[in-house]
Amino acid sequence: MHRKYGRSVLAAALATGIGAALVACGGSSGGGASSGSGAVSGGAYSGPAVTISFWNGWTGGAAPVLVPELIKKFNDSHKNITVKDVPMQWGDISAKMPLAVKAGKGPDVSVAHGDDLATYAAQGLLLKSDGIVKSLGYTASDFPAGVFNAGHYNGSQYAIPWSVTPLGLYVNKSVLKQARLDPAAIPTDKASYLKSLDALKAAGVKGEWVDGYVFTGTFEFESLIWQFGGDLYNKDVSEATFNSGAGVQALTWMTDLVKNGHSPANVAQDGNWNALVAGKTAFNWNGVWQTTNNALPKVEWAAASVPQIGTEKAVWSSSTHWIFMNNKGQDKNKTAAAAAFVKWMNDNSAGWAATGELPADNTVRNAPSLLANYPNLKPFLDELPYAHYETVSPGISAANATITTAVNEAILGKKSPKQALDDAAAKANQLLKQNKSQYGG
Amino acid sequence: MVANSALAPLVPRGTRPGGRGVHRKNATAYLFLAPFLILFCVFVLAPAVYGLWISLHIWNPLLPNQPFVGLENYTQLFTPGSLTSGDFWESMRATGIFTVASVPFLLVIPLLIAVLLNQKIRGGTVFRAIFFAPYVLGVAVIGVIWRYLLDPQLGVVNHLLGLFGLTSDVPWTVDVPWVWISLVAVTIWWTLGFNTVILLAGLQGINKELYDAASVDGAGAMRKFFSVTLPGLRPVLSFVTTVTILASANMFGQSYLITHGGPGHATRTAIMYIADEGLSQNQMGAASAMSYVLFALLAVVSLVNFRLQRDKSE
Amino acid sequence: MTTNSLSRPTSSSAEPPGSGSRRRPATAMRRRTRPGRIAVYVVLAITALIIVVPLAWIFLTSFKTDFAAINAPGSPWPKPFVFDAYHTLSSGQQPIFRWFLNSLAAASLQTLIILVTASMGAYALARMEFRGKRIVFGVIVATLLVPPVIFLIPNYLIVQNLGWLDTLWAVSVPGAAGAFGIFFLRQFFVGLPTEIEEAARIDGAGDIRIFLQIVLPLSRPAIATLAVLSFLANWNDFLWPVYVLLSPDKLTLQPGLSVLQGAYSTHFGIVMAGAVIASIPVLIIFTLAQRQIVDSVASSGVKG
Repeated sequence: MHRKYGRSVLAAALATGIGAALVACGGSSGGGASSGSGAVSGGAYSGPAVTISFWNGWTGGAAPVLVPELIKKFNDSHKNITVKDVPMQWGDISAKMPLAVKAGKGPDVSVAHGDDLATYAAQGLLLKSDGIVKSLGYTASDFPAGVFNAGHYNGSQYAIPWSVTPLGLYVNKSVLKQARLDPAAIPTDKASYLKSLDALKAAGVKGEWVDGYVFTGTFEFESLIWQFGGDLYNKDVSEATFNSGAGVQALTWMTDLVKNGHSPANVAQDGNWNALVAGKTAFNWNGVWQTTNNALPKVEWAAASVPQIGTEKAVWSSSTHWIFMNNKGQDKNKTAAAAAFVKWMNDNSAGWAATGELPADNTVRNAPSLLANYPNLKPFLDELPYAHYETVSPGISAANATITTAVNEAILGKKSPKQALDDAAAKANQLLKQNKSQYGG
Repeated sequence: MVANSALAPLVPRGTRPGGRGVHRKNATAYLFLAPFLILFCVFVLAPAVYGLWISLHIWNPLLPNQPFVGLENYTQLFTPGSLTSGDFWESMRATGIFTVASVPFLLVIPLLIAVLLNQKIRGGTVFRAIFFAPYVLGVAVIGVIWRYLLDPQLGVVNHLLGLFGLTSDVPWTVDVPWVWISLVAVTIWWTLGFNTVILLAGLQGINKELYDAASVDGAGAMRKFFSVTLPGLRPVLSFVTTVTILASANMFGQSYLITHGGPGHATRTAIMYIADEGLSQNQMGAASAMSYVLFALLAVVSLVNFRLQRDKSE
Repeated sequence: MTTNSLSRPTSSSAEPPGSGSRRRPATAMRRRTRPGRIAVYVVLAITALIIVVPLAWIFLTSFKTDFAAINAPGSPWPKPFVFDAYHTLSSGQQPIFRWFLNSLAAASLQTLIILVTASMGAYALARMEFRGKRIVFGVIVATLLVPPVIFLIPNYLIVQNLGWLDTLWAVSVPGAAGAFGIFFLRQFFVGLPTEIEEAARIDGAGDIRIFLQIVLPLSRPAIATLAVLSFLANWNDFLWPVYVLLSPDKLTLQPGLSVLQGAYSTHFGIVMAGAVIASIPVLIIFTLAQRQIVDSVASSGVKG
């Protein structure tokens, strides 16, 4: 029996050992990846023929038509570069890209929002892009304030700004007419906004439906907290401050909409947008990208800057940036080709506004032809001087998720705004601490 | 079955104790087993041990180091107010609620339908096929279509309720307790066919003469059900119960697609949370520890289930 | 295990008149259950409607414009009736047909691997004596109770190290390593009578011959059952592919539809069209082979 026991233990150990060897050979240490010594240089591409993959989240509005067109144009004019367009939802990109890059299966070039940049850089997923920035001749002043620096981490530049997408006020003019309101007089401040909402309520319409989701409840909340003079985090992002007085004011404004009968209590994801299109509500705070939604042409609609509910003008905006991925075994030629692609896109970015995003490059965006061609974008352009962009800190997305939980719980009536925000801030602080210990600064 | 090489040459083959048709051959046996064993070792045994190892570290695969922290990931789960314990136990609660709410319906309704199908009727095969059809479509098709049908505004379910004069803005996918009703109902719709056909086969395996005997004794339909049908169905019912409990405890797709784990995280099951924490938030150590705690709890449930069924049959 | 009893009446009510003491209970029962029989049909028909109507509704919704899908949820019939959703889907940004092929490939491959490895291993466990047999079988059975989530993260890392992320191998090989198949077949083989094998052995046939020419053919129903169960399990797999498949054209159907829903969240017509495209091939296959499929699944409970 003793011998038999020994044999089987040996067999089991052998089995586990084979498995362990397979596990170890990939290197769980994945060491040195964050040494990101790779860098991207600018200039035309003169290497061998390559195919590069480009992950992007442009799946809405006019993008699914425009992006493939642009890429085809690029591929046709560049004999030795083929760009493979790989669209997927933004959330999927941020969930899958890190591990994919670590395994060598990530894209060669991608676009990411401002809140992911520091995280990716800290995780060693990005190549430094100082070189291409130089060849493009960009400096921070070429973009709206703060946007360029979102890609700055640990003394190097890792991203190139591409577009900005602020929130705006979408209005269903026929619904306004129903309430005998002047469709040309869109409210711009708290008093006029409330007046319109009350008039709508008297006509049996719930004027603005609020929801408890990232798109767009969280964006609305963040716009409001800035309008009330508060901020989401402190300066060095070591502490959450969204549960401050300003935060409570902001969230209470939203829950009051439900309380005072201007919004139903249980709005589903995109429920408010659908209601706007269906003529069931008059106002919806949504992103500039919705200007190209193909249900809109059937609706009598207009867009305006978000009303100033608080004490100052402020609005949420996201920013999108080009990034070059530091895949395990990244092919230098592919990266060089990707740089050429990004340069070309930047040179040909005049038509990008057709997707409903605002080009980040000030010159492109401020060109009179842009407004002439896309007049719907005017209210959004006007907001940029007071737009706030994403917080930049490694691992910030996990902390940001707690804000959405708080908004969700408060709007559904599960917790008071103060309670919801306090609970979320406590959680966020723990996450910020974890970030600091895992990523340093 | 004791391996005793000294005796083998003395006893002719085919007449050894241990059952007819059984021959002792180490090499051939392992040759036959090898393909399976290789897969099994690499993808079942190794990960089981590896997972345990990971759970003893702070394991973020995107960072250069994975520091050893002993049982900290586990103690964190049982420390109120820690980073993971609140979310973990909320997800366990979600799993528990769903399992308790769904399993009874997933057993009773298919059983009733199976009993009906077992009657002498025409077109039974057609009915059977219709009931089974949703199962072959897959969880994503089901999730996507019910997400639409149950949409509080655009969905036809609320519209129908409105037509019947009932409240027409039930937040099926947005708020508790409606989300639970939605998830359970959709799961039943999706898998009732699967349980039904198995139970039906079990019913057909019950000796008809037992029913006749019961009739002669003057038993009505109800009595026959409890004293002939159920006992005769016991092994099949026990199989279906076990499979159903395990399936419910591992629910992921419906919650992911229909409620997205909401409201807040109320319908985020343990599996969802573990997968998110480990593969999206990259906290693999914490997630592995959670999976082992879930395993321990499920093992207890399985043991209790096993005991209960053992006692019943004794 | 057969469905004959559903289409042919069984003993008591088919008893010819004049067959003695059985007669009265039979006719009495027939008289008593006629209204009961109608009730049975009604309940079954209602249940069938509950299954079919939502599917039909979705089918019709896929022909609605976005505007109509949002504004007229109550009316089933698309006004106007358009193919926009299908046009958008066929434009290639979300390769639905590709996803279908990927699912087909993965499910077929995993089923094949399971059938080969499990049948060979089960034969050894059922018919051979060897050192360590108890331990091997014990370990295999023990893992049946382990929840799959235990393996999720470590297997992810293993698959990553093998370079299989985002490939067909990742969604067909790891899933084939489970203990269910070998356990199921082992139970079945143990129940097979051994006379034929014994006779063949006396005639000089070796293990491989006996396995291939005697045991396997005798096991056809069990193997068919295992094949169907394995195929369906892989086809339905959602959690694992969501994390190990990355590029849109490598996705299988289940995560693919989830991606579609995310990408077109306000364009319900498109999402429903995707669901329809994902369903039609499967439903066709199912309709053609439903008797075999359902029979196989049914017998798994009786045998297991």
